[in-house]
Amino acid sequence: MAFELGQYTLAIDGTGLPDKQLIGGKAWSIARMRALGLSVPPAFVITARACSAYLEHGALPDGLDDELARGIAWLEEASGCTFGDGSRPLLVSVRSGAAISMPGMMDTVLNLGITDATEATLATATGDAHFARDTHRRFLDLYGRIVLKAVTPELDEQATAADWRKLIEDAAGAAVPADPRAQLLSAVQAVFESWNSRRARRYRQHHGIPDTLGTAVTVQAMVFGNLDDKSGTGVLFSRNPLSGERAPYGEYLARAQGEDVVSGKFTPQPLSTLATLLPDVHAELLAAAETLERENGDVQDIEFTVQAGRLYLLQTRAAKRAPAAAVRFAVDMAEEGRIDTATALSRVSAEQVRTLLSPRLAAGAAEAAECLARGEAACQGVGVGVVVTNTDEAERRALAGEAVVLARATTSPDDVHGMIACCAVVTEQGGATSHAAVVSRALGVACVVGCGDGSVTALEGRTVTVDGASGRIYAGALPVVAPDENADPHLAALTRWAEAAAPIEVRAEGGADIDLDAVEGGEDVERLPALLAGRASAQGGAIASDGGVRAALAAGIRTIVAAPRLPVLLAALEASREQ
Amino acid sequence: MNDMHLALHGVAIKKHAAAEAVAAAVGLTPARAAALLAEAAAGGRVVEAQNAYALTPAGRMILDNQYSRFYDALREDEAFIAAYERFERVNVELKQVITDWQTLDVGGQKVRNDHSNKDYDGKVLDRLGEVHERFEPVLAVLIRALPRLAVYRHKLERALEEAESGKLQWVSDAKLESYHTVWFEMHEDLLRVLGRVREE
Repeated sequence: MAFELGQYTLAIDGTGLPDKQLIGGKAWSIARMRALGLSVPPAFVITARACSAYLEHGALPDGLDDELARGIAWLEEASGCTFGDGSRPLLVSVRSGAAISMPGMMDTVLNLGITDATEATLATATGDAHFARDTHRRFLDLYGRIVLKAVTPELDEQATAADWRKLIEDAAGAAVPADPRAQLLSAVQAVFESWNSRRARRYRQHHGIPDTLGTAVTVQAMVFGNLDDKSGTGVLFSRNPLSGERAPYGEYLARAQGEDVVSGKFTPQPLSTLATLLPDVHAELLAAAETLERENGDVQDIEFTVQAGRLYLLQTRAAKRAPAAAVRFAVDMAEEGRIDTATALSRVSAEQVRTLLSPRLAAGAAEAAECLARGEAACQGVGVGVVVTNTDEAERRALAGEAVVLARATTSPDDVHGMIACCAVVTEQGGATSHAAVVSRALGVACVVGCGDGSVTALEGRTVTVDGASGRIYAGALPVVAPDENADPHLAALTRWAEAAAPIEVRAEGGADIDLDAVEGGEDVERLPALLAGRASAQGGAIASDGGVRAALAAGIRTIVAAPRLPVLLAALEASREQ
Repeated sequence: MNDMHLALHGVAIKKHAAAEAVAAAVGLTPARAAALLAEAAAGGRVVEAQNAYALTPAGRMILDNQYSRFYDALREDEAFIAAYERFERVNVELKQVITDWQTLDVGGQKVRNDHSNKDYDGKVLDRLGEVHERFEPVLAVLIRALPRLAVYRHKLERALEEAESGKLQWVSDAKLESYHTVWFEMHEDLLRVLGRVREE
């Protein structure tokens, strides 16, 4: 058992696994990693009991401040750093953590413990005054936004900490306490209060979670990847999340903090850099990834920091994955015996397979073509058509049956009707969050943004091929092909398993009782129940969509005729799992 | 301010919308909006096609010239301007949240979010709610100065609540009054009121 620091707090030292209800999912995950013998920064947890007491009495329970002091003392002992002053300052993160994660709970406050004094010592310890200053600024910004709940103004990097505090006080109507222990107490209280935020209450109501459970608060020592040459930060995937290949994949940035990677100011190096610089750490990291993947039964995405030659795991979770990787992870892990085939099938969505099998430029087509413009790839897909720059004209011609590429300097809501009708959207200004990018993704229309002033509107009247995956616009109509589901061994394996498990038969060809292409309303999922009633088999129309498959199952259809088959089988499995 | 201006403004904001949608956007009754739009169509300021209205070039010019007259006082209102500037800051975050909703960063590459990762979606939705709540007091200031903006509070709350109850298309679907659709219309509205130009 983790040991008790008092009535409401537990130090997580890896000796056993406390109750998840009591300490919340985040602390539980830290405790579990420690119990597996993995290296995690020291942490203590204020249990949900303290939250219940707070909610009941409207005040923090007596003695909680003493317990927090004991928790901080334990972190100081475990880390060899001191909180609020000293030559090696201890900074902590404060996060909410209920047993079930829910929306509306307080976000993480990082770098709590930084003050004018600790900023100076941190600057000396890291040899990086700019970093220490920026850590201070980011802390104040987070504290202002998260604990004081203000729309804080931009904190100018050139200003002083006193200026920043003043700006936050003006925006929030309350000051950031000067003493880090008071900051910690306020942050804990803010977590407890977030339990009763509008969104959290709604979520609990919606999911039947009792309001009395309460949330825990995890306080964890921060580690620094920018201390010396034996420090750094990175991410590791236990397998390649793009291709799905069974090989660790990751990035490492020496002498850096996580924010440096996120900010894009520095380019991370491949993981082999870590193997060269710190081979023992690299080996320990790979072993940890293997352990976590085996224990959690899924590919892991692990954030880590190396501080003065020592590895710390910060977070692990099921890895996000590209469609190709989703398929390969599922099949490989089932064949390795790590998961059963039902789990494998549940990890690949019909939509992922449709994306994999969607039309793309034929191999070699792009190499021979003339590239007319290039920009940021905003939405995948290939669009071939004639360039039109006037939105109303684009809509008119598209509705008349012509394939149209809409080219604009930028787009606005004025252009949405044209974007709906066209096969691709290209713009001259704006990036990944621009209106054109957001709306094209929502519509599923191929889109390239930010090609440069005068680049794409000048193509008016020309036939072009837009490749939303690479961000390039080519002259002429390039050949487009759809991949074959039977040619890929991983897709073939999934298809075999899906056939055995699915509640419905799916055939690629042959006739059916009803061809929805040939009847009025067959494209409309809403009308399928009426159209399918009393039939045993169906094809065409909306039958292969997720909604179509659901309607078919509900109508008692036994056979769907559609190609490709796998998305239909997976949609049928998804629908039967939901029931 | 006059009702004709409001009706034309509603057409500019809603784009190719029916009279009812224009009415709801600017706080006119449906019957009043329909009558005004019929009059505007007769005067060549809007065109109607398949029950959807759009401004003509002349209508657009007339409308654009009216803003400075009707919103003269608001353009000098310091509290309103300050709130608008806070809106622009939140807007940067909101656009990032919507982008993160639509795309996954997989090992440094952007791929389409197919919404199969419930955990990820839950986190992004949580951020959307967090941005929304931080924006609420800012919107309250804007509404105090220009009460008709209250329609956006109602529509944003509705979209958020639909999305939180599992109807994911209410985050950014361009074909319905999703959070992003409403947010963008509100942005457009504020830009017109203040006579500013959108920056991508």
